[in-house]
Amino acid sequence: MLNVSILSIGCTVFNLLLLFFVAKKFLFGRVDEVLVKRMEEVDEATLEAEEAKQKALATQKEYEDKIASVDVEKEHILSEIKKKGYVEYDRIVSDAKKKGEQILVEAKHNAEVENERAKEVYAAQLTDMVIDAASKIAATKHSSEDDKKLYDKFIIEAGVNNE
Amino acid sequence: MKELFDELLKEDKAFIHIPYGNGLFDLYKSVVVSWIVIGILILLILFLTHGFKVHNISKRQAAVESFVLWIRGVTGGMLGEEGVRYQDFMATVLIFICACNLVGLFGGTPPTMDMTVTVALALMSIILVEAAGLRKKGVGKWFKGFTQPMAVITPMNILELAIRPLSLCMRLFGNILGATVIMELIKFVMPLPIIFPALLSVYFDIFDGAIQAYVFVFLTSLYIKEAVE
Repeated sequence: MLNVSILSIGCTVFNLLLLFFVAKKFLFGRVDEVLVKRMEEVDEATLEAEEAKQKALATQKEYEDKIASVDVEKEHILSEIKKKGYVEYDRIVSDAKKKGEQILVEAKHNAEVENERAKEVYAAQLTDMVIDAASKIAATKHSSEDDKKLYDKFIIEAGVNNE
Repeated sequence: MKELFDELLKEDKAFIHIPYGNGLFDLYKSVVVSWIVIGILILLILFLTHGFKVHNISKRQAAVESFVLWIRGVTGGMLGEEGVRYQDFMATVLIFICACNLVGLFGGTPPTMDMTVTVALALMSIILVEAAGLRKKGVGKWFKGFTQPMAVITPMNILELAIRPLSLCMRLFGNILGATVIMELIKFVMPLPIIFPALLSVYFDIFDGAIQAYVFVFLTSLYIKEAVE
């Protein structure tokens, strides 16, 4: 009953090892394979969810920032426009002033020129009249009476012409 | 009665007698029975684990998965964190001894009732224990381990190398042998086994078989845990 056989011991050891390798490869191996795959899927899904969440948060922050910056932007644009308006206003007013001054200067100048011309015309007429009078006097025999009459007539003529 | 014991205990264990070495190289019946057990186990494993899927698993797959996780939890818990790598082997040993002990239920002779099988199991256990210790600590530290915790008990520690497998082997062998003898006695006392022997059979064949398998694995795991700590 207590005798032992080396061959049988060897066979039993081999048996157990064979069973272990089959169990390791098929029972534990296949179960592990499934478990690992499932774990990977869960990890992947978790990672994706985390990414999606981060993305959503980033987008939300972006929009919030945009909304917050709209007021500032509005103020900025308004002030810009106002500044531009003032500049334009100043420019137009100064232009108008300049033009007005120019017109005034031109008008003065024109008036002066006109005056000068009128003076010249008058001087020329006076010269003509003097020549005329001189020639008339020279052409006629004259007494002092005549001379007096002549002078009066000349003066009257000159006055009429001059008016 | 005497004939019964003679038949039970003194029968020729050899399945194939090899005329060399005075019976030292005989192939025993227990080995043949364990071949059958292992064949059934392998077929069962192959059948139960075919066509595994990641999603929409069948009830069969769910059962196998929870069984694997459960038995790993049992052996892994006994081995501790350091020895958890040996949990699959210990689970296999547990399944094998359990299946061998249950052969009596189907009218056969349990392979574990033959000392050859328990000697082989105990040898593998002690080799695994020492290999685990060597692997974890290295040769120097492993030799030093014999003088722990005191140099005085070094002879005891060396004796333990032989005592541990001997106790493992004898415990399993004796328990299964005892259970089988008791069952034979009960059958002898009650020639028409109806309810009472059936109830006792549940205890001696199933419960005791499972307990002994568990004890064997538990002690081996304990030794491994101690060796790798």
